[in-house]
Amino acid sequence: GNKGASSDPFSMSDLNRAIGIFAPSVQELLLIDDLLFTMVGIEGKYITLKKGRSKESTLSFQIDPSMDLSLQELAKRILPLCESYTIVSQFTELRSHFKHGLVNHALAAALRAILQDYHALVAQLEHQFRLGRLALQGLWFYCQPMMGAMQALSTVVLKASGGSHSGAAILNLLENQAAAIAGDNSARSLLQKLSQFASAPYLGILERWVYEGVIDDPYGEFFIDENKALLKESLSQDLSATYWQQRYSLKHELPGFLSSAAETILTTGKYLNAMRECGHNVKISFPDDTKGSGSGTRHHLERINVAYNFASAELLNLIVQKFDLMGRLRSVKHYFLVDQGDLLVHFMDIAKDELAKRPSTISVEKLQSLLDLALRTSIAASDPYYEDLFCNVEKLPLLRQLENLQKTGIGGLTDIEKFGESSGVEPSSSQASSGIITGLETFTLNYKVQWPLSLVISRKALMKYQLIFRLLFHCKHVERQLCGTWQVHQATRGLRFIGTSMPRSYVLCQRMLHFTQTFVHYLTFEVIEPNWHVMHGKLQAVKSIDEVISQHDYFLDKCLKECVLLWPQIFKKVEKLKAICLQYATATQWLIPSMSTPDPAAKDSSAAKLSVSENRDGSSRSARSRQSRQEATRVFNPSDEATFRTTIGKIEEEYNKELNKLVLLLTNGSQTDPYLAHLAHGLQGVGHDS
Amino acid sequence: QEESEVTEGALVRDVLYACQGIDGRYVKFDKELDGYAVDEAFRVPRATRMLVRRLCEVGWLYKRVRQHITDNLEEGPLEAIGTVGQAFCSSLQEELSDYYRLIAILEAQVHNPIPLMSEGSKAGNYLSLRRLMVWLAEPLVRMRLLAVLVDGCKSLRGGAMAGAIHMHAQHGAPIVRSIMARLLIRVCSPLFEMVRRWVLEGELDDLYEEFFVVGQPVKAEALWREGYRLQSSMLPSFIPESLAQRILRTGKSINFLRVCCEDHGWAEAASEAVAAAGTSGNRGGLGYGETEALEVMVVEAARKIDGHLLKIMYERYRFRDHCLAIKRYLLLGQGDFIQYLMDLVGPDLSQPANTVSSFKLAGLLESAIRTSNAQYDEGDILDRLRVKMMPYNSGDRGWDVFSLEYTLRDPLNTIFTEAVMASYLKIFNFLWRLKRVEHALSATWQTMKPNCSLARLFTPSGHGEKSQVVAVLRRCQTLRNEMNHFVTNLQYYIMFEVLEYSWANFLEEMEDAQDLDDLIAAHEKYLTSIIEKALLGERSKLLCKTLFSLFDLILRFRGLADRLYENARAVQARSDNSARKKLERELLLSGVGRKMANADFTVEFLKGMGEEMDGVAAEYSSLFEGFIAQLPVQQHVDLKFLSFRLDFSEFYIRQHMSMSTTPL
Repeated sequence: GNKGASSDPFSMSDLNRAIGIFAPSVQELLLIDDLLFTMVGIEGKYITLKKGRSKESTLSFQIDPSMDLSLQELAKRILPLCESYTIVSQFTELRSHFKHGLVNHALAAALRAILQDYHALVAQLEHQFRLGRLALQGLWFYCQPMMGAMQALSTVVLKASGGSHSGAAILNLLENQAAAIAGDNSARSLLQKLSQFASAPYLGILERWVYEGVIDDPYGEFFIDENKALLKESLSQDLSATYWQQRYSLKHELPGFLSSAAETILTTGKYLNAMRECGHNVKISFPDDTKGSGSGTRHHLERINVAYNFASAELLNLIVQKFDLMGRLRSVKHYFLVDQGDLLVHFMDIAKDELAKRPSTISVEKLQSLLDLALRTSIAASDPYYEDLFCNVEKLPLLRQLENLQKTGIGGLTDIEKFGESSGVEPSSSQASSGIITGLETFTLNYKVQWPLSLVISRKALMKYQLIFRLLFHCKHVERQLCGTWQVHQATRGLRFIGTSMPRSYVLCQRMLHFTQTFVHYLTFEVIEPNWHVMHGKLQAVKSIDEVISQHDYFLDKCLKECVLLWPQIFKKVEKLKAICLQYATATQWLIPSMSTPDPAAKDSSAAKLSVSENRDGSSRSARSRQSRQEATRVFNPSDEATFRTTIGKIEEEYNKELNKLVLLLTNGSQTDPYLAHLAHGLQGVGHDS
Repeated sequence: QEESEVTEGALVRDVLYACQGIDGRYVKFDKELDGYAVDEAFRVPRATRMLVRRLCEVGWLYKRVRQHITDNLEEGPLEAIGTVGQAFCSSLQEELSDYYRLIAILEAQVHNPIPLMSEGSKAGNYLSLRRLMVWLAEPLVRMRLLAVLVDGCKSLRGGAMAGAIHMHAQHGAPIVRSIMARLLIRVCSPLFEMVRRWVLEGELDDLYEEFFVVGQPVKAEALWREGYRLQSSMLPSFIPESLAQRILRTGKSINFLRVCCEDHGWAEAASEAVAAAGTSGNRGGLGYGETEALEVMVVEAARKIDGHLLKIMYERYRFRDHCLAIKRYLLLGQGDFIQYLMDLVGPDLSQPANTVSSFKLAGLLESAIRTSNAQYDEGDILDRLRVKMMPYNSGDRGWDVFSLEYTLRDPLNTIFTEAVMASYLKIFNFLWRLKRVEHALSATWQTMKPNCSLARLFTPSGHGEKSQVVAVLRRCQTLRNEMNHFVTNLQYYIMFEVLEYSWANFLEEMEDAQDLDDLIAAHEKYLTSIIEKALLGERSKLLCKTLFSLFDLILRFRGLADRLYENARAVQARSDNSARKKLERELLLSGVGRKMANADFTVEFLKGMGEEMDGVAAEYSSLFEGFIAQLPVQQHVDLKFLSFRLDFSEFYIRQHMSMSTTPL
């Protein structure tokens, strides 16, 4: 080759000589050579890199000031490209490291591809340059398409590297940036392409989640968070279990194009995951693999919807069919809402003595075996799930438990009105009147619920069932006690009780019976059954398990509310009335048999009294048989009759007072909640008589 | 004076050499910079130097990768890197050969002159440094990845290496993914081959200890439990632990079938499994990234082989029958047989242990079998039933050392290990003791029964001696009744609440068992459930001790009662005779001396007897109370049932309450 000194840029004699000494044409060649270096981020001889005060983000190139001014100006226009290139290439290198996550990797790879094109362009320019065809103006012209693109990229990259974003943040950044420069068509399509590349691994994660219910997210980029500390077993143990609500949760940063479907995506995967936990592996597959058809986002959303519908139907099907949800609910209703009474009556008969003990001395095992006995001999034995029922003895009576629940707010019973104001005095007084707490106040049933049914019948739901059960159970108990009094009354027939207080006692007993029976009737036939029926109907038409849960919860809450359990004022009055009934029953069963003295000729009366009072608890039958033997010879003992009269009088007075208060409360309440009117109406018949 | 002493063409050539890790004339490896650079001795523009340095990064990376390959493949011993390491190196080699091809192509272009501005436009495919940059961009990414891998896997082997490489495949860039996928398929293929051989043929084909299953030579009966285990460090992260366990068990099942059962039906099962799983079973049927296919195959193979194994266990080795036999003979399920045996060996066992002949006992066992329904049992099962005399201390009676034994051979002793048999022995001893106590109490009843008229006979007369007899007899009766109540209820509890309940559970679990591990676990659960509930466990040691002292006390009572009734009979005989005035005849029959001694003895004897009886009663009630009191301490639901049953009428609680309140 013929190397002319003027034409060969490599043969410059002095390294340190300023460019200004050359002729402008030589300067141009030297400048182009240098620019070709700077374009790939290497400082040349006359264009030097000047680091900014802070980090490399502010780096800039500087041109030898001795250069021809017009050349200098043109070169300065090209320099931003070089600066942008440096930024982008640094970002690319940095973000390819493993720790930055899949989205960053993919973005870096896409950027690298663009840079590769850019390098090829530079090589092309060099080629032209070597052929002597490239002037500075030409260089400027050829750089044009790259200028805008590189500029857009560097803006994005600068933003992205600022906060060391990853995952959805990067995707959102790309989206937003593309939207921000929507006017610049080429730059926008470039950014859209980038975001398409970058979102590919993200969509991969999404697909596994939506189609299989698996989170395959090694760098924590996905927008769904799995809280492994929440176990599904907690549903059947913990009152405030949030497994279903919080096991999987959305993170803050969502990719924009999915934000509308985020909840759907979350639920879809959750359903699939729930099925997986049941040992039922499903994988949604699309026979028509029409990838890329239609616009990307809409296509994805459609698929997500399909997956969602499939998953919810499948899970619902699984729980309803395989795990027999309705059968379970029916079974729970049998026991907790007492829809077949023979079990309860039988159980109360055989467990009477054990239940009359204090809660601390009750043997739960004994109760359990008695319950098993009752279960096996009653209609409940035909229920396939009766073995899951077991019994429990709580520490607190129902009223106190409700107060506690309200105080702690556990179980979501927050809409209980304040037990506050008067509760300081009342519970203690009502307890004093009802005497010591026995097993009857604290006995409750429990039920073994397995995953996945524990989703619906969670510990919380079960607790609500228990509250209703305890109310019903105690009402039944009161009713039985009153029936006992009725039996005692029957034994006094044929005695000369005209002029005594017996007729009054008869009437009072009937009124009390009417009260308890009306109340139980209200609970069962006006609250539980209709609500159950409504729920049952709705459950036939549900589409997803979440709907089932909400329907079931709604049913329970409605029942709780209508069973006046959430009306502390009313409930307290009811408790008070029940306590008076019990007091009455105990008093009559104690006093009446002892009142009638046998003929003086017969045995010593005090001994008989003693023996009767010994087994006053239940053995009214034996007392009665003894009475019937002695009936003909007995008369009322006047002194005992007097105490009886005063006792009955006191009780009746208190009963009337409380009942009137209750009816008043109910009528007041019925203006806002009409169902209370039913109860008030039922009870009023008694209230107005007196 | 030129600015650059070196032409660009020469530099390009040198860079290409540097890319292969070879020092050129101008471009040399600089140790200080740790990279290739243009020698300082030559005058080259700064920008060009930069560019060369940048280009030569590939060379530096190449050198590292190359170094790894030579270190491992060519120089190091094969066992140090193992087959996975070899596969890794060879796939690295393959990647490198792609790279070589590129370099060769580039080399060919080096010879085309770089056109200069002065020349025409006819230049061919020349190479300038900038062009090289375009060419080398992709190899750079590739080489970087390989270098990272080499660094990451330097000290790893086998499954661990595969796992580490797998971790590096979690990358978002498509090119990285494709390289890693290619690499992993090759690297993992030896592992998958091992899995295949192990799961389908039971061969541990692992020369260099790379597999996550390791075997060790053990005796046949320990093969299942100790023969093979998982080595978690060699478990690649893409194979989940549960799958690994399954893989382990499947191969173990094959080996168990082969070694312990001498069965060959498994091969058929395995090939069926392969056919069912849809993989052809030849090499390369499995690979990395097909974890699901692997799982399907393993699950299928495991199902088939474990099913086969269980079938063999049930049908050929009659596991169920043996369990039942053990339950019938060792756990006293066969009542008539046990009754006969107790009757037969009773007298012998009362002798001191060192005089008891085990041969005689074996003969008695034989006759007990003959006389009971056990004779209809199969010979094979009856042959396994033996008498076993345990080592004895001085002062031990035959009762203390006698026990039954049921011998089981290969392969059933994998389930019935020595420890298991020891547990059975423990249960047997307990049950045998309980049975003996019950037997003793019924024997006492037998002696009492003919004498029940005795008490009535004495009642009318107010004679001091006789009323004392009555009192002692009464005491004896009530005490026996009380003891009998306890023993009967305990026995009921053991037999029905413990044994039958556990057995029913065991049968259910046996039905559900999928593999030998399940079966072993079910059996183990059965055994521990019995031991725990029968108060033989660690937690109830104290309770068990009380129980045994109760038993001892009852046996002592039995001796006492026997003596009492022997005497009472004598007294009865005397009073009968006096009543019927047939004293003379009696005198004639039994001799004067003895009669007189008896008469003297009776008063003393009765007094002593009464005191002793009171002592026993007091001790019994205190022990029993202790027993009842300890029962609720055991956190066992079933034991509460026992206490509920023992104290059904709440008699003992009330007694305890009154006892504890009286001192106050």
